[in-house]
Amino acid sequence: MTCPQCGEPTGPSDAFCENCGAPLSASSSSASADIAPTEPGSARTHLIAPLHEEPDELPVPKCATCGGEVGDDGWCTVCGARASNGREHLAEQPSPTVAAVTDKGRVHPRNEDAYAISTAGTWTALVVCDGVTTATDSDVASLAAANAARDVLAAAPRPGRSPSARETHWSERLKAAALAADEAAGKTAGKGDDNPPSSTFVAAVADGSVIVAAWVGDSRAYWLPDAGPAEQLSVDDSWASVQIAAGVPRDEAEAGPKAHAITKWLGIDSPDIDASTSTTIATTPGWLLVCSDGLWNYCSSADDLRALAAKQPADPLARAEALVDWANEQGGHDNITVTLARITPEE
Amino acid sequence: MPTWTAEVFQNEYLPDGATDVHAIVTVTSAGTGHAGDVGGAAEAIIIDCSGSMGAPQAKIVAARKAAAAAINEIADGTWFAVIAGVGLAEPVYPPSGMVQADQGTRAGASEAVSRLTPRGGTAIGQWLMTAHEAFARTPATQRHAILLTDGKNEGESAAQLQAEVQAVTGEFQCDCRGVGADWDVAELRGIATALLGSVDLIADPADMAADFQAMMQTAMGRGVADAKLRVWAPQGAELLFVRQVAPTIDDLTDRRTNVTPLITEYPTGAWGDESRDYHVAVRVAAKPVGAEQLAARVQIEVGGEVVTQGLVKALWSDDSALTTRINPAVAHYTGQAELAQVIQEGLAAKADGDEDTATFKLGRAAKLAAETGNEEATQRLKKVVEITDADTGTVRLKRDASKLDEMALDTSSTKTTRVRPS
Repeated sequence: MTCPQCGEPTGPSDAFCENCGAPLSASSSSASADIAPTEPGSARTHLIAPLHEEPDELPVPKCATCGGEVGDDGWCTVCGARASNGREHLAEQPSPTVAAVTDKGRVHPRNEDAYAISTAGTWTALVVCDGVTTATDSDVASLAAANAARDVLAAAPRPGRSPSARETHWSERLKAAALAADEAAGKTAGKGDDNPPSSTFVAAVADGSVIVAAWVGDSRAYWLPDAGPAEQLSVDDSWASVQIAAGVPRDEAEAGPKAHAITKWLGIDSPDIDASTSTTIATTPGWLLVCSDGLWNYCSSADDLRALAAKQPADPLARAEALVDWANEQGGHDNITVTLARITPEE
Repeated sequence: MPTWTAEVFQNEYLPDGATDVHAIVTVTSAGTGHAGDVGGAAEAIIIDCSGSMGAPQAKIVAARKAAAAAINEIADGTWFAVIAGVGLAEPVYPPSGMVQADQGTRAGASEAVSRLTPRGGTAIGQWLMTAHEAFARTPATQRHAILLTDGKNEGESAAQLQAEVQAVTGEFQCDCRGVGADWDVAELRGIATALLGSVDLIADPADMAADFQAMMQTAMGRGVADAKLRVWAPQGAELLFVRQVAPTIDDLTDRRTNVTPLITEYPTGAWGDESRDYHVAVRVAAKPVGAEQLAARVQIEVGGEVVTQGLVKALWSDDSALTTRINPAVAHYTGQAELAQVIQEGLAAKADGDEDTATFKLGRAAKLAAETGNEEATQRLKKVVEITDADTGTVRLKRDASKLDEMALDTSSTKTTRVRPS
């Protein structure tokens, strides 16, 4: 298999080209919730938009801005616009209770966020990676990282029954997923790149009532139960967190000029990729939300997010789309990724 | 196979409404091999044998040794000829055309140059035309000459010289050297620049042999006969300038040929294993904050193939922490280009007796040389002006500055230093 956009070799299970980020042959799907749950053991994602028929011949890629030819370097040969990486807006609903939406936002020139989700086992795994804009080709790194982490989580053996066994099992698998994500992100770096691609990482697994999250950087996981206090499961590896830990009020720390400087990330120049983990036990039904800062920048506290989410449609995909729309209405200053899983705890 | 890399140094972040994108592109070649590896190489050594070369006699003696030193470096199989510049040019060795170098022909040529005698006038255009005719009689595609003179062009008009230089431009490269204080820096620089060669002053004839040997070694080490710089700019953009900025300043803007309406091409001559820096400036239409676009593709083309490419980008941002960053490479070479210009203008003003302008321009040069860490330029400037305060560019013209020191400052004005590590 080769990428129809850039001609680079691709793997059989790749949803996107590792080189240019173009969507590869997408499985057929529609924008409704009636898609059959993914086959067990398959980690394939369903792309809802944009979809293209697989061409018989490789077309010359055309610039979306001026219609000119796109060069091998990924930029238009006439107007100089960057070719689309196919990720301006993507949505996916692999099961009736799980959905993901990622969007470019209103200010950034391209979407460097990526998500990958798996409902392959008896558990649900949500992964979000946010490519660091100031580094080169971080959109490629974030997608590679998210897919690698998802693959580790999808292929995990079935854990023991007890909540403590599950917690231990998923904490370990999530840390392994972070390492795999880091390796995948590192491989996207060019030789001698002095500003290599880098990405944040957050993943959460919901296995029955046990929810385990792991993260590197400032993308977040939240547990938003229908009743009882909402929780932010992750603690940002960021300058703002350091400030909050030192006693600066959260609002003030998150508004500071260096608030978004992260202290940990994935990529070959990463100083520390040991993911932090946390666990919560669902006692009532609720929503597991894993998102990038494109959403939480506008609504940081877990209780506020729960209130915001509760106003949106009950269908996971419609709810994720509505949260993305809401973030865009607030300014859409960054890429926005929202992944949601409806969790119903075991009896 | 040669390997090529292109690295781009720029601040791609532009404030709202900004249109001008500047970048330094460092092109590096490795594994280029030797001259003539592809298509064969040819060398011409052109020695001024005008009457003045015998006054003092040391000049012609040095020229003989220098020519022999250069001949000694010509690799086996390379076509070559030695030409004496008299009123017209005369072949010294071989009697006509060129021969291929081997032990016998190198010995024959060395013997012939030992008998060079001063006896004619200076008609550089004629010399170049004679070299051109000799080159044309070889199959070699990589052609290079070394030209030595000690005087101004006198045997022909300036227009004639210009026409002759134009006729041989693109036919061969030519490194030019002036010995003594009676040649015209601007004239020789014009010839060397057009013929993609270097220009330098040999103040002491005793240094000439080593210089010729080094020049020929460099020429023999250039395994890529002809590379071109290509610049793509987007539709509607204006290419403000394209300039080589290291190892020497050379404005290429006027030497462009159009490949397509969006792509221009500039000759860069032969390459050895080396690194050259180019400053490219493009004016694009302003885009809204958040928009991004490619402002230039800077490429090297060899034999019709693009062998490396650097991408110059523009990204409009409302984050002043990003948009106000000054790229050190762009700033450094902008300063070095102005340094070359003010040195040349200052010396020209001094020659015209306009001391105010000369003092102002050379003062500015002293300031720029200090700011950009160009110690060589500072040292040369100090022989021509007294630097009272480099920070403010306050200088006094030296009454006793020698003509040779002024010429040394002038010829080396285009040599740049690389960016200081921060």
